[in-house]
Amino acid sequence: MAHRGTPPDDHLAPPAPSEGLDRRRFLTVLGVSGAGAAALSGCSTDKVEKLIPYLVQSEDQVPGLPTVYASTCTECAAGCGLHVVTREARAVKLEGNPDHPVNRGTLCARGQAGLQGLYNPGRLRGPMARTAEGRHEPITWDDAMARLAERLRAPGGAVAALSGAGEGTFADLLTAWVAALGGQTVRWEPFGHEALRAANRRVFGLDELPAHDFAAARHIVSFGADFLETWLAPVEQQRGFAEAHGFRDGQMAKCVYVGPRRSLTGLNADEWLATAPGTEAAVALAMAQVILAERSGWPSDASALRPLLAEHTPERAAERSGIEAERIRQLAREFASAQPSLAVAGGIAGQHRAAIEVCAAVNILNYVAGNVGTTVRFGARLQAGDGYAGLQALQSAMDAGRVGVVLVHETNPVYALPRAAGFAAAFAKVPFKVSTASVYDETAAACDLILPAHHALERWDDLRPRAGVHSLMQPVMEPVYDTRHPGDVLLQTARAVGGPLAAFTAPTFEAHLRAAWGEVARRRGAADAQAFWREALRRGGVFEEAPVTPVRLAAGAGASGATPALDGDGPLTLVAYPSPMLTDGRGANRPWLLENPDPVTKITWQSWIELHPDTARTLDVREGEHLQLTSPHGTVTAPVYVYGGVRRDVVAVPLGLGHTEYGEFAAGRGVNALDLLGGADGNGFLPYCSTRVVAAKVRGYTKLAKTEGNPRQLGRGIVEAMPVALAARGLTVKEAYEAMGHPHHELNPESELEAIEGWHQAQVEKQKFGAYAEEHPKWGLAVDLSRCTGCSACVTACYAENNIPWVGEEEVTRGREMSWMRIERYWEGDEDGAPPEARFIPVMCQHCDNAPCEPVCPVYASYHTPDGLNGQVYNRCVGTRYCGNNCPYKVRYFNWFAYAKQAFPEPMNLQLNPEVTVRARGVMEKCTFCVQRIRAAQHHARLEDRPVRDGEIVTACAQACPSGALTFGDVKNPDSRLVATLANPRAYHVFEEINVRPAVTYLAKVYHGGEA
Amino acid sequence: MRKVAVLGSLLALGTAGGILLASRPSTAQQGPAAPDSLAAPALAAGDTAALPGPRQPIFFRHDIHAGQFKINCQYCHYSVGVASEPGIPSVETCMGCHLVIAGSDSGGRAEIRKLRQFWNDRNNPDAPRLEWVRIHTLARHAHFPHMRHIKAMGPAACGTCHGDVSRMPQVWEVNNVNNMGFCIDCHLARGVSRDCFVCHY
Amino acid sequence: MTAIAHEPAITQTHAEVTRDVVATLDTPSRGYYIALFAAVGMFLVGLGTFVLLLKDGLGLAGYVPPVMWLVYITTFVFWVGIGHAGTLISAILFLFRSPWRTAVYRSTEAMTVFAVMTAGLFPIIHIGRQWIFYWLLPYPNQRYLWPNFKSPLIWDVFAIGTYLTVSTTFLVVGLVPDIAAVRDKVSGWRKKLYAACSLGWTGSDNQWRHYTRGYLYLAALATPLVLSVHSVVSWDFAMSIIPGWHGTIFAPYFVAGAIYSGIGMVLTLLIPLRRVLKIEHMVTEYHFDNLAKLTLLTGSILFYAYLMEYFVGWYSGNTFEQTTFYRRALGPQWWAGWAMIICNAFVSQLLWFKKIRTNLTALFVISIFINIGMWFERYVIIASSLSNDFVPYAWGQADPTWADWGILLGSFGWFLMYFLLFARTFPIVAIQEIKEMIPYPRRKGGH
Repeated sequence: MAHRGTPPDDHLAPPAPSEGLDRRRFLTVLGVSGAGAAALSGCSTDKVEKLIPYLVQSEDQVPGLPTVYASTCTECAAGCGLHVVTREARAVKLEGNPDHPVNRGTLCARGQAGLQGLYNPGRLRGPMARTAEGRHEPITWDDAMARLAERLRAPGGAVAALSGAGEGTFADLLTAWVAALGGQTVRWEPFGHEALRAANRRVFGLDELPAHDFAAARHIVSFGADFLETWLAPVEQQRGFAEAHGFRDGQMAKCVYVGPRRSLTGLNADEWLATAPGTEAAVALAMAQVILAERSGWPSDASALRPLLAEHTPERAAERSGIEAERIRQLAREFASAQPSLAVAGGIAGQHRAAIEVCAAVNILNYVAGNVGTTVRFGARLQAGDGYAGLQALQSAMDAGRVGVVLVHETNPVYALPRAAGFAAAFAKVPFKVSTASVYDETAAACDLILPAHHALERWDDLRPRAGVHSLMQPVMEPVYDTRHPGDVLLQTARAVGGPLAAFTAPTFEAHLRAAWGEVARRRGAADAQAFWREALRRGGVFEEAPVTPVRLAAGAGASGATPALDGDGPLTLVAYPSPMLTDGRGANRPWLLENPDPVTKITWQSWIELHPDTARTLDVREGEHLQLTSPHGTVTAPVYVYGGVRRDVVAVPLGLGHTEYGEFAAGRGVNALDLLGGADGNGFLPYCSTRVVAAKVRGYTKLAKTEGNPRQLGRGIVEAMPVALAARGLTVKEAYEAMGHPHHELNPESELEAIEGWHQAQVEKQKFGAYAEEHPKWGLAVDLSRCTGCSACVTACYAENNIPWVGEEEVTRGREMSWMRIERYWEGDEDGAPPEARFIPVMCQHCDNAPCEPVCPVYASYHTPDGLNGQVYNRCVGTRYCGNNCPYKVRYFNWFAYAKQAFPEPMNLQLNPEVTVRARGVMEKCTFCVQRIRAAQHHARLEDRPVRDGEIVTACAQACPSGALTFGDVKNPDSRLVATLANPRAYHVFEEINVRPAVTYLAKVYHGGEA
Repeated sequence: MRKVAVLGSLLALGTAGGILLASRPSTAQQGPAAPDSLAAPALAAGDTAALPGPRQPIFFRHDIHAGQFKINCQYCHYSVGVASEPGIPSVETCMGCHLVIAGSDSGGRAEIRKLRQFWNDRNNPDAPRLEWVRIHTLARHAHFPHMRHIKAMGPAACGTCHGDVSRMPQVWEVNNVNNMGFCIDCHLARGVSRDCFVCHY
Repeated sequence: MTAIAHEPAITQTHAEVTRDVVATLDTPSRGYYIALFAAVGMFLVGLGTFVLLLKDGLGLAGYVPPVMWLVYITTFVFWVGIGHAGTLISAILFLFRSPWRTAVYRSTEAMTVFAVMTAGLFPIIHIGRQWIFYWLLPYPNQRYLWPNFKSPLIWDVFAIGTYLTVSTTFLVVGLVPDIAAVRDKVSGWRKKLYAACSLGWTGSDNQWRHYTRGYLYLAALATPLVLSVHSVVSWDFAMSIIPGWHGTIFAPYFVAGAIYSGIGMVLTLLIPLRRVLKIEHMVTEYHFDNLAKLTLLTGSILFYAYLMEYFVGWYSGNTFEQTTFYRRALGPQWWAGWAMIICNAFVSQLLWFKKIRTNLTALFVISIFINIGMWFERYVIIASSLSNDFVPYAWGQADPTWADWGILLGSFGWFLMYFLLFARTFPIVAIQEIKEMIPYPRRKGGH
């Protein structure tokens, strides 16, 4: 069919599926209707398109309509609930499960990027075995299973398993299965919170991780715990933090961050106490001491602590930590007087050799402040593995050659442990090593047999992330490659091996799981197990309140303010912290995470070294110049990022990169800071902050792939902020400026206001004609900056929803990233060496009523829709880029190359959202307010002959935001949540003075301190 | 969906009798059907070359199903009323009727045998799959919500764009659906939205 | 001084003039061929670059958002500017009956046409989807879609189109009698060619009467274009809200700049050309002196405009404007900003000195400075204004790549190629107008 009427853009649509797909998946993907083809083949002109019908109609797939399955996120140990949106039997988006108690419907960037784990080009196509030459060759499943079974009949040593921390039916099966073979299973995760558990054991006699109620806290002190990024359950904690710290009803909680490096959490805190590394315990104890000494109302048995705390005066803490005693006293008083309050310890503070002391000290602090039982609730038993101690035990066993067969599942110790820990060497001594990795990672590379597992979205399983939460996982689509459920592998092997394994009779893991859930149903006294199961499957699991176990001080509860020993004698202390996007490195093969800028530094795709400006000056290095760090254990060289948020005596390096395997995106990218660390030393966990390093400038420069141009607002009032005292008085931004005695930044003088008003009247007149005449909604968005933490979950949500191509490191260095939604981070203060304050603001297309981009487009590709959107018609765009120049918010992104072609390699193209056009080379694109969601809702409403309800349309960013900072709605609907939000006195528009009349309204940030 | 299938097969059984009566050789021998005649012309697969439109793996006769037997479009194109995609019938749906209907003439029987072959091979992963040749392929940068048009213009609206398939032994593209003017004319005539962003996003 | 104040008496007969001019069309020197091959080579470089742009996309060029316009638009404006001297000299000076134009106007007119032809390529090279550039033209189509007449880019399309048409007509009409003269002097296939081009010109009184009238009207028609076209081009910028673009002085500022750059290019071309074509006695110091004065005038207007830009930037009290102009002078691209001011504002002031105005070597050097300076002016206005506008977070510095320079080089090749070919094929000096200036024989050698 010739191409009448459509521009010749074969790449205006996703690339067609190639022969690479195996037939069954091809059937499921294409075999639905036009939609499958519509999603997957080009705007076809010459090639004949085929429609392959289902043989048997699938019950729950309607072509053109999304089908949603409930599941559970496995990207970290938090165990958030998922809603997996599928189209034509392909998962196209991950969203939070609103029923799930952990994340309540929202999801972080890492969770959403799980899709790129499912569709990762680096995934193994099938089982592999190591040949005599040590290479891995593909083999058949039958062969693979035979090899495993044969090996297990004569293990030649103990059988052991090493798995991730996920607690659930599979983990139980694995443990039981290995136990039946007389072996033992170790569940280990990096950053396993061992110190916290040890401290809880010591202080409260409970070896478990409690739940923390951030929402209730009126005063939050974090001792190094990055609870917004990587610590425990970030999404849940961020929701709580936004509740507490977001400004509402004239008040907000105060948050203080204690630690040597100011992380994203630290930047969201109202104050940063830059303690010397390892001295957090001293501060916490001093605070407890002050509270005990000055205040009453603490639990009676706390007085037992008096002798212990007596010596920990603020003065002593001051000389250790470098924080003035007075400041500590004041903090203690604030902390005790705000009821309830909450102190948490972790992150950097939980990673040095005195970490147990810190956690214990914080436990004591919480106890004397009466928070234990209110904001710190034991009994939740957040899932935690056997800790590093368990891993070490296994390692020594392997080292001694006592292990004959080891099975590695969903963990990558060869990468995630420092070389100095010697795991790889011990691992190599095991004669037969089996991995279920679905991606060829470092550990899989060291294994003899790889039995690639289904991705979490392709398999049956369940998780118990904490007491009261039993969360289900179900296959949402056909497996992408020839993988198998590890559970089925275990059961099938059991049948083959028999003997000790004869007890495992379930035919498939699904059957095993159903049986297990039958048990659950019985325990809960459900009459109809079937109904119970179906309901659980629909909701995503069974959820109930976690029991709260009351705790008292255990005998011998205590903590010392001892400062930890550090290896080496360099001038700088190394802080190796988990990257907010890549964590322990499992995110390093996901372009969405690699290109989502680090919230603090705004760097993408690279490793970097953070230095204090003064330190950088003494070392004579500038941003991008290479610095070599040398510790007793190794050396690392990376470009420098100068950051006022680290102490002068500290150098910080993010973890997560420096993979040697793990797929094309990760392998050989960046450096692995673990090379600078030593192994653990008997204290039960791996200290990530335990070495001193020597820093030396070396030849070489790398332009940092930052998405940031200038880090300062230059008084342009982009992110407005006011102290809580003024906000409480209900002042507007302008009034707040005056109250603080600063002049407000440039706004329009009287004369201009008249002109503007006149112009506006003219516009109103114009709106009475043509297509604009009838009654239309007017879409708008409100962003509450007092809730936004800059976590960047919205950015990944936008990428996933709108088929935004990632462009790669080189193009980012040329400022060509395509992120329709970006989090701008501006530094405040810091000129006088004071620590920098950060202001975060999500910036997307503002859909101006008086949009400068519209009149300049020569072909009407950019124009204003009747419902108040700033439309961008890709297929009409010729690419003059005038709109991009003329956009004051710089939110228009141009396809300089055919990015979509390289960004969606097989099979990532299966993730593409069929509702959104994939943009061709040479066209401009930008945020559309998720117009496809608006249209879908309008269609739905029309079919039901009703107007669109408020809240029915939620943009991808608003849907994902764990803080609930974004509100989308119809400005013309007086009862909409949006209109209510717009009434807030803190509401303002960015660049109000240029009269572009944006449809995006921001609510000024509110902070403690600086009260006038 | 199952319910539909059951109802469908009943309806099919009913019509089956009708066919045996209606498709007497005499009527079957007539040339191309007159507009008001119910009977569709008898054609062998061999004749398809002469017909407009691409040749399909199975010589499916819209003129027989939609024309002669007046089977509702939505019986096969099941999602057209609820989703943007019309949907094409699964082989299962076809077999709902063709379990019992073997065809009236040799040509028809041959084609139905092909269909049954696909059905019988349904559990054989290596069997060839049924691949219809797509006739209406809307450019990917245009979104056409079928359900909105069915809702507005009723279930019989299909012909507005697709032509009278009930008279087509082999379906061809009557209107170029990629001709934007074709859409605009209609939208102008009916005074409905001509906002670009309604279809292009 | 007075010796040159009025035009030099031409001491030749009509026949000699014709002979000399026709001589320029004879077998050219080796220098000419070298120049021509160089031009063609440069053009091929540009062509190759464009092919790569088509293949891979505009990403090859040095765009760094928010700088979404760079060398291509810069060069576009540059060439449109060049195109202005021609019409000014041939039309306006014709209307003002300023006699010194005669010797130079033909070459400047040719330059105009070819410069506009060059400029015309750039909108196409510059856009993201070059293969649908025609969507910028209003034509009936089945989509019922029309271009947006509110967009300055569409005004551009019309402005350039009109200017190309008129200036071409003007050139061709002016050529007719001369071609006829040449026709009568040559033989063989060339005679046939010129016979065809001369449209049957016989030089009868009747023809002359109509011809001079027509030429006058054409001149009158062309004159307003000199002002309008570059005003429209300036609105590409002035109509936007970018600090550094959004200025009311842009139209006159650009027109002055255009004429300035145009004359600069005339000097660059004419000074070598008159030697190559051995027409020193017709294009004399006297002409260059006048061109230089015009340069000085327009150059001074530019100087004023630059000062005004900075003044307004400061006086507006608008933080965006202030930042932009601060960074234009002291930002990361200060060198470009100062290149423009030195080459245009300062260098042109040297022309106050007669010695320099009449020293061709000096003039040539200055003209080169002018060309460079004017290119940088556009580069600064575009690149540096865009690189730091409203949102500091989005700021970025563009750095042109080989793809930018390739196209720039190619445009010069393309322009020179046509100009050289023209100089060989048609009389580069207006024969009949020179003749008009020849005193009557009886006054010859008088007083």
